[in-house]
Amino acid sequence: MDKFAVLQFYALLKREFLEHRNLFLGAPAVLAFLILVAAVWVASQVDSAIIVEGLEYLAVLFDGLSPFDMAPFFLLLSIPFMMTLYVCCLIYLVNTLFQDRKEMSVLFWQSMPVSNFQTVLAKLVTVIVVAPIFYVAIIFCLYLVAIIWLAILGFTNGVAIAGIGWMFLAALASLILIYFSSFIASLWLFPTLGWLLLFSAFARKTPLLWAGGVFILVGFLESFLFGSEYLANWVQSRATNPNQYLIFDLQTIVARLFNYDMFFGIAIGSILVAGAVYMRRFID
Amino acid sequence: MKRYILKNRFTLLLTVLVAYMVVLVTEGAITGRKAQFVDFENPFFDLNVNNIEALMNRGESRDDVRVNVRENFR
Repeated sequence: MDKFAVLQFYALLKREFLEHRNLFLGAPAVLAFLILVAAVWVASQVDSAIIVEGLEYLAVLFDGLSPFDMAPFFLLLSIPFMMTLYVCCLIYLVNTLFQDRKEMSVLFWQSMPVSNFQTVLAKLVTVIVVAPIFYVAIIFCLYLVAIIWLAILGFTNGVAIAGIGWMFLAALASLILIYFSSFIASLWLFPTLGWLLLFSAFARKTPLLWAGGVFILVGFLESFLFGSEYLANWVQSRATNPNQYLIFDLQTIVARLFNYDMFFGIAIGSILVAGAVYMRRFID
Repeated sequence: MKRYILKNRFTLLLTVLVAYMVVLVTEGAITGRKAQFVDFENPFFDLNVNNIEALMNRGESRDDVRVNVRENFR
């Protein structure tokens, strides 16, 4: 791959981030701030003796344990951030191609030496690879502030806090699990990404309504035409198990990435993404 | 054929949706994809439904439906 193509793709990714800063940086930052404020408020309501006891318990709990063994605990704490990431990605995908046509800036972007395929691919890479990086960075900042606050609390209350260093290491190890969970969840939901992009490129108004309405209609049509419910069964198999979206152990990543259901989902999503790429040429 | 598919946005959408449905239905038929059975639990009433259709036709046959009501209500 030549250097110009790499720089071109980097510029596309940078454009996506700069146009949607609020979704990828603002939303997790606000959530982290709210969590911090809530934690400080709760700590201010609690008796100092209980805080000391809690700090001593934390210092002992993580002391000497492998950070990767304790990382799943912090993975569960990051679920609000992951839910926020999914909602923001939903909003981004539904609006991204629709907004270009609504503002008529699509004429400008299509005059650039960038193909529709590169543009749509940049949007997918933004959701799958880039957005989780910013969320993990915000979570890291939150953990850093929290550990400094706990250290100050420990010093002021005379608590031995060496064990909290192990807790911080477990929190750092959880960041890797959080990123891979988001990455694999995005690939698992690749058909959904393709579906949203398709209707973002197709709809003249209310793309989310189109996406939801046509999805329900297709389900009814399948039942009416073929007398089967394979679509509903397939969606149920991909959507109802929360464990499909979380990685608790790095050793399971390869098995989660390379299996039939993942490949089939990516194949289905590719059909929908191809539709979105071709749909982008209709700018009326 | 490409000319007809790319004639306008509606023909393209229809083509994509037909391809999507055909692939999914074919894969479902080949692999025999089925819905998972539903299992509800609460402290007062246990209901395990292995065959939803049998529950719907409860008047005809009770063999496939297992319903356990705790003694607490007696």
